[in-house]
Amino acid sequence: MTKPILITGGGGVGKTTVSAALGVVAAKAGVRTLVVTVDPARRLADALGVEELGTEPVPHAELPNLWAAMLDASASWSAIARRHADPTVADRLVDNAFFQAATNHFPASQSYAAAEEAATFIDARAWELVIVDTPPSAGGIEFFTAPSQMTDLVGGRLLRWMTGGRLPGRRFFFDRTARPALRIADQVLGAGLFEAVAEFLMDLRTTYDGVARRSREIESHLKKATTVVVTTADPSPLREAVRFFRELPGVAARPSAVVFNRTLPEEWIDARPGRVSAEIAENLRRWGRESARQLEFRTEFANRYRTQLTTIPWKQDSPTDLDSLEDLVTSAEGFDLTELLRT
Amino acid sequence: MFDKRLVIVAGKGGVGKSAVAAGLAIAAHREGRKVLAISMVGTGGGLASHLGSQPLEFAPFEVQPGLHASMVDRSKALLEYLQIQVGLPPFVAFGPIARAFDALASAAPALREILTMGKVLYEVRRQEWDLVVADGPPTGQIGSFLRAPKSITELVSTGRLREQAAWMGDLLANPEESTLVVVTIPEELPTSETEETLAWLNREQVVDDVRVVANRVLPRLEVDGVPGGRAGEAATLHIHIQAEQRRWLDRLPPTAMLPYLFGIRTPAEVASLLADEMERW
Repeated sequence: MTKPILITGGGGVGKTTVSAALGVVAAKAGVRTLVVTVDPARRLADALGVEELGTEPVPHAELPNLWAAMLDASASWSAIARRHADPTVADRLVDNAFFQAATNHFPASQSYAAAEEAATFIDARAWELVIVDTPPSAGGIEFFTAPSQMTDLVGGRLLRWMTGGRLPGRRFFFDRTARPALRIADQVLGAGLFEAVAEFLMDLRTTYDGVARRSREIESHLKKATTVVVTTADPSPLREAVRFFRELPGVAARPSAVVFNRTLPEEWIDARPGRVSAEIAENLRRWGRESARQLEFRTEFANRYRTQLTTIPWKQDSPTDLDSLEDLVTSAEGFDLTELLRT
Repeated sequence: MFDKRLVIVAGKGGVGKSAVAAGLAIAAHREGRKVLAISMVGTGGGLASHLGSQPLEFAPFEVQPGLHASMVDRSKALLEYLQIQVGLPPFVAFGPIARAFDALASAAPALREILTMGKVLYEVRRQEWDLVVADGPPTGQIGSFLRAPKSITELVSTGRLREQAAWMGDLLANPEESTLVVVTIPEELPTSETEETLAWLNREQVVDDVRVVANRVLPRLEVDGVPGGRAGEAATLHIHIQAEQRRWLDRLPPTAMLPYLFGIRTPAEVASLLADEMERW
């Protein structure tokens, strides 16, 4: 059996670092672990022993139980097309101007591709634990709604409107007499645009059965997975974290833990600076104020959502190797994250 | 910057983009300018909280006398576009055409983004405001928004949309009128993402006046040896993070910097303190 853990949360909170750290701890405990990440920081990729994006899972040179794979999110659309359309249609899709415009601009596609890739690794049954770091563009709950959004897109709201639900023949789109609305559309949009979009959508429609079936499989994986929310005690990542409790029911399990990263020592709050220079004393006071604010925000969150909290201290240096990654988990306080790693 | 007509604020998620956008709007407003702060993506919750406002709506409302706020709702922007800019009568605009366009806009990326960009640029053009401050998309998506007028010009050869795209592109590119502020923080990923954004802007030439603002910059700490105890721990952490920040600031020298705000609780306080700093620029 493979146990999936999804690491989610807003941007810039250290999701990837936490994913990697959990992977290191699990692997050191003898669990065959894969960490799937999207576009990590250079130093973190080095620490995980992976060199370039888009690589297949590779084992770590020093820790053979730890595998890492990096998804190339920008290649996601073409991967979807190639997987679910027949080769000639896939070629035409990838060359279509709209397809190219869509490639980077439909955030759900990145999330969908990442989720699809992660599901493939889970299904492979080659690892006991698969830790998925959700894509930066949609660290929020969008990751969980991506499969249904993707199904909607290729299912074609526009196509359904134009055809009344039937899958049309190509000729249909050029019949202006049947569709006066199309004539006005042409005046406004310019001739040709409508056809280009329609053609794109019709080609995309051929991927529907594949995408819809796969989406259902992915959604069932996401629902069963253990979810961990990473945040800092700052308002904007906290707003994102709240959404996991308010909006997720139905598409994912309730988060098993909330990790507050970059936590300052509570001992600094109102601490006496002792006999030090005025500047160093003032420095302790301002960090003490910041620590008090963090504590207040953390406590409020924990009381409101009644969840297990783990705090990871704010480290002087960002982790660059296996030991410093492991240290993040061992120096954490509160709920013991290693409980989630048991398979 | 406050003499421009439009400032678009972009940045990687988590760097304080909405706070900086709100701060800019507040600072310009304090200088006596009539300002619209408009959120380009999502529901504008971040911008609203930083302005100390109720939830934003499509129609601009006054947060304080002379400071207005709104958000772009794509479907409403579409109806407005069809009526005001294309000149379709309401009964047509609300009927099947609107449905077709709405569906089209949800599927065709350049269309979706030009509706959002178009709404912002339309607010600039209608001369109601001295300055429009747009809380823009994350840097990962900024390209598709800024490039939307150009994409439309490439995709469509005739028609009214193409004409619209032309003036939109001109307004964005005019350094007298439009500025793009890229917000970053001195850390590895935001720095590399900002570098990628700047390289992209350099290639595409869609906006001429681009500024980088580094947020959450720690002040220097003058020490003559680190003492023991809590004060020493706090000083050590500060010095390490500050040295790390220095590295990233050297790699990407920002146009301006904003300080780390210690112990500030509400988003409205944050924006107001950032505005204090901006007034000194």
